[in-house]
Amino acid sequence: MIAVLSKVFVVGVGMSNVGRFYERPLRDLAAEALFKAIDDASNLLPDFIVVSNMLSSQAEQENLASLIADYCGLRGISGFKVEAACGAGGAAMIAGYSLISSGLANSVAVVGVEKLSERSTPEVARGLAYAADADFEIPYGISFSGLNALVMRHYMDKYDVKRDEMSAWPILMHENGYHNPYAHLRMRITNEDVLKSPIIADPIRLLDSCPMSDGAAAVILASEDVAKKCNDTPILVAGIGNALDSTDISSRFELDSFLAARVSSERALKMAKLTPKDIDIAELHDAYTINGVVTLEDVGFAPKGKGAKYLYDGRFRPGDKPSINPSGGLKSRGHPVGATGIYQVCEVVMQLRKDFPGVKVGGEVGLTQNIGGVGSNITTIILRS
Amino acid sequence: MSFQRIWRLKDILLDLVGIRCKDCGYTCYPPKAACPKCSSRNIERIALGSVGKIVSYTVVNVPIEGFENMSPLVIALVETSNGKVLTQLTNVKPEEVRLGMEVEATIRRSAMTLDGYVPYIVKFKPKES
Repeated sequence: MIAVLSKVFVVGVGMSNVGRFYERPLRDLAAEALFKAIDDASNLLPDFIVVSNMLSSQAEQENLASLIADYCGLRGISGFKVEAACGAGGAAMIAGYSLISSGLANSVAVVGVEKLSERSTPEVARGLAYAADADFEIPYGISFSGLNALVMRHYMDKYDVKRDEMSAWPILMHENGYHNPYAHLRMRITNEDVLKSPIIADPIRLLDSCPMSDGAAAVILASEDVAKKCNDTPILVAGIGNALDSTDISSRFELDSFLAARVSSERALKMAKLTPKDIDIAELHDAYTINGVVTLEDVGFAPKGKGAKYLYDGRFRPGDKPSINPSGGLKSRGHPVGATGIYQVCEVVMQLRKDFPGVKVGGEVGLTQNIGGVGSNITTIILRS
Repeated sequence: MSFQRIWRLKDILLDLVGIRCKDCGYTCYPPKAACPKCSSRNIERIALGSVGKIVSYTVVNVPIEGFENMSPLVIALVETSNGKVLTQLTNVKPEEVRLGMEVEATIRRSAMTLDGYVPYIVKFKPKES
C-alpha cells in the first residue's frame, strides 16, 4: 500500500523548442524552460530542483542541479540530478513527487535538459548504447537502432504485421507534430516517404526513428496548500509508477513486449484507481515505431499484436479515446533524451488545461510513459484535471 | 570500449558462459549474480553451447563509433539450448540471413577498440551440414 502524505500537483510548465541549437549552451536551454515554468506558476520559486539528463558528460558538464539553480538565481535551494538513460525524465518526476508527498519540500522544479548537438552522430550513438549492456553488447558494435530492430523484426514476424501497418505510426506522428510549434521535425510524411527513406538497421528506416535533439522542459510540482495559492488550474499527479527490466536484450523473458511498460503502467493506474479505458490522452515513448506500437499493447490500449493494425485502421487519432501523442511524439516533436519525459508531462498538462498550442484533444485524464534503454527503465504517470 | 574491459570478460565472451539457477532451473546469458526469475543466488555457470537458431536479426548500416569500417554489421539474436545470445554473423551475406537459420560459433576479430587494440570475439556463421 502506498502512503501518500500530501497530494502532488503540477502548477507550472515550460518548454524550449526542440531542435539542434549549436549556438545555445545547455544552461541557457534549461533557464528558458525553468523560467517559463516559474512564470506559469505565478512566480512560485521552488524549494528544490531535480534535473533529469542522460549524456551531460558528452556535453562536458556534470553537477547540473548546482549549475542550473545558480544560473537561474536559485543559489541556496536543494537539488540533485537523476539519470535513468532516456527514462531520466520519468525517474526525476518520481523523485520530485516523493519530495512533496513526503513533506520534504513544498515545491519542486523538475527540469529536463539535453544537449546532443555537441557531438557527431556515431559518438552520440555510442553514448546512447551505454544504456544497453555495455560489456556484452557493445563488443558487437550494435546501436540502439539495431537493438530495437531485433524487437521489430521478431514482432512483425510473430504477429504477421505488414510494413504499411507499421508505417501508420510515423505518418500519424508527423501529422500531429506538424501543428506543434515546439516540435523538431514539423513536416507531413506519406507511406511512400517511409518506404523510400534509408534503412538505418533493417527493418528500421530513417522515418521509423526519432531525431537526436537538444531541448529543455520544466514542471513546477507543489503540495495541495501551495498549489491552491499559485494556480487556478492545478493538475493532479494521480498515479506514478516505475519498473525495471534487463539492460541486455539476450536474457529478456519476452522479445515482443516490454515487461517494464506493462508493470509500470499497472502500478500507476492502480495508484490512480483507473484502467486503460479511462485514459483520454497518452504521450508514449516512440523513439522508434516499434516502441510506440509495443507500448500501445503493453499499457492496454490494444491487444497483443494488434497495436499497429488498430492504428492502420484509423484508431488513436485526435478525438479518439485515447488520442495518442497529439504532440507528435518522439518521432516528430523530437527526443532530447533526458528531457523527453518532462516534455511529455508538460504536453499532457497543457492538453488537460486546454492551452496546448498544437493539436488540441481535450479530456480529463492523461498518461505519459517514458522509456530508458530498450524498455529497461520505464516510468508511467497519470495526470488528472 | 577499452581493451582491458574485454580482456576481463574474455572467458565469458569467448566460451559463451551463462548461468543456470539450481533452484528453478532458469538459464540465461549474459551471466547474472542471481536468478532473474526467482532471485535465488544458488546459481552455477554453464556453457551456452556453440550451436543455435536465429530468432531475430538486423543489418546495421549506421553502427556506433569505432565500427564504421565493419558496416554493414549483420547482428543476430541466436537461441541456443541454454539461452539467447546477441552476436555478430560472419561468412554470410546480409540478404542470405533467415529467421530459424542454424548457426554455429566461431572466433573472429572484432573492431579495433578506441584505445587501439584488436580483440578476438565469438561470432556465429551458418552451420555446415
